[in-house]
Amino acid sequence: MLDAIDKELLKKVAELEGIPKGAYNIRKNGKLLNREVSANINIETNPQGNGIIITIKPGTKNESVHIPVIVSQAGLNDVVYNNFIIGEDSDVTIIAGCGIHCGSSKDQGHEGIHEFRVGRNAKMKYVEKHVALGDGKGKRSLNPTTKVFLEQDAYAEMELSQIGGVDSANRLNEAELGAGSSMLITERVMTDGNQIATSRNQIILKGDNCKANMISRSVIKGDSIQNFYATLDAQAKCFGHIECDAIIMDNGRNETIPALKAGHPDAELTHEASIGKIANDQLMKLMSLGLTYDEAVNRIIQGFLK
Amino acid sequence: MLELKNLTFTAQNTDVNGKSSIRTIIDNVSYTFEKGKFYAITGPNGSGKTTLAKLIMGINEATSGSVIFEGKEITGLSITDRARAGIAYSFQNPARFKGTTCRDLLAMAAKTDDEKVIVDIITRVGICSLDFLDKPVDSRLSGGEIKKIELATTIALNPKVAIYDEPDTGIDLWTIDPMVKLLKKEQKNHNTTTIVVSHNRAFLEAADVLLLIKDGKIIYRGDLKGALPLLNDFSLCSFTNVCEGELNARCYR
Ligand SMILES: Nc1ncnc2c1ncn2[C@@H]1O[C@H](COP(=O)(O)OP(=O)(O)OP(=O)(O)O)[C@@H](O)[C@H]1O
Ligand SMILES: [Mg+2]
Repeated sequence: MLDAIDKELLKKVAELEGIPKGAYNIRKNGKLLNREVSANINIETNPQGNGIIITIKPGTKNESVHIPVIVSQAGLNDVVYNNFIIGEDSDVTIIAGCGIHCGSSKDQGHEGIHEFRVGRNAKMKYVEKHVALGDGKGKRSLNPTTKVFLEQDAYAEMELSQIGGVDSANRLNEAELGAGSSMLITERVMTDGNQIATSRNQIILKGDNCKANMISRSVIKGDSIQNFYATLDAQAKCFGHIECDAIIMDNGRNETIPALKAGHPDAELTHEASIGKIANDQLMKLMSLGLTYDEAVNRIIQGFLK
Repeated sequence: MLELKNLTFTAQNTDVNGKSSIRTIIDNVSYTFEKGKFYAITGPNGSGKTTLAKLIMGINEATSGSVIFEGKEITGLSITDRARAGIAYSFQNPARFKGTTCRDLLAMAAKTDDEKVIVDIITRVGICSLDFLDKPVDSRLSGGEIKKIELATTIALNPKVAIYDEPDTGIDLWTIDPMVKLLKKEQKNHNTTTIVVSHNRAFLEAADVLLLIKDGKIIYRGDLKGALPLLNDFSLCSFTNVCEGELNARCYR
């Protein structure tokens, strides 16, 4: 049922060798390819028929669910609306990701709109990888949206990465944090050639003692462009931090705008931002360990995006 | 085994009025380091010690003169080629990375990521704890921690010549002695030609030969005893543990 291209894409986006264990939903070219539910994790098609609803039972511990998407059909732009309802006190890992294989001159794309409700005291780790492969000349675009609502004392860790081959990406992350909840978002994006990637992030710190940490790492090669915008909007006694670093290589361009808004006197917000070439002292160090200049560049980038 | 011949390094200085002048930082230095010996280099802040070390490693390009290693002229070689030939340098101010861990650096130095080899290196270094391994070598490491990792990467290379640039800065009092012993042990077990740039008496005492640098010139070579009158003369600071040198205007010397 999985062909060679599917397998390669699954491996790249979900580190899967074939069909995963446990609950999963594989979507291929806009249709359900395969689904498996488990005792604690239910997956069903939504009433509109344009996405899935994933429900995790309260108290579910150490379980994971894979929901990869494959787009290999020429000219297809697949739009999907997924809802995640994470039950109270649960602890789960969701592995999403989209692999595009473009073999023609027609444009291909995927837009995943993901909405998460993370229940009281629940822990969710969400891992999303995007990659595009293939020799086709068609433009590959990935425009993901995530909206996260954290209830009291919930915790969400989101690892979002775009590994390569995506011509155009427009990402939107929105989050609303309830009292005592915390969130860590790490975004890693590498662009090359004439690719463009934009990431917009809007995090509302709503409940008392909530915490948000947003980390962005960009590597911008060739003539590519990456833009990063993040706003922390504090409406309570809370803590928020944005850390965004961009490494520019070749003729890459970058615009980084972190914004902090304190609407409460006890809000503590900080940001660090840097844009620049790989630091010379880092290159010298690795070369003094016997690496060539190019090897040193690669290792520094690898570490940076790890 | 490592010979410096009329080595000179000049830098262009531009003053506030935009007038530029040439400043000689290393001034016609000639010296031969012998295989397996332990050298200490000391001298006032800004005298050119780091510049000299970086000339040997190829980080600074010589303005004139030459560096000869094991009979071969290496003046034109890159940092990479010198490292591969067996020269290693521990930076005075080690680079900080984002994401790259201590394990990554050791694996690059040892050319393997074999867990056993990496743990062996940490054990051999002794002063560097195992919990450092998976920490990113970034700005969160303390000044002493990063110096220990820096030193470990040099040892992991098994170099023929190891240059340590002020390995003791930021290192606590309890670690200085083990560090001296470690470098002596490496020198003995691997016949490593060891060059330590330091203001610390412990290293000056440990050395077979002491080189005193001032204004870009070697003004003394010999044992510590013979150097003492000179050291007193320049009021060389041997209290770097409490004093930050130039940066600390009120030095308690
Ligand atoms: N590339 C350069 N361009 C201009 N000036 C330089 C350059 N490199 C070094 N210098 C200057 O040369 C002098 C010697 O510097 P160096 O770092 O070698 O001193 P040092 O002896 O190692 O001092 P310390 O004990 O403080 O480490 C300093 O005044 C420094 O500012
Ligand atoms: Mg120095």
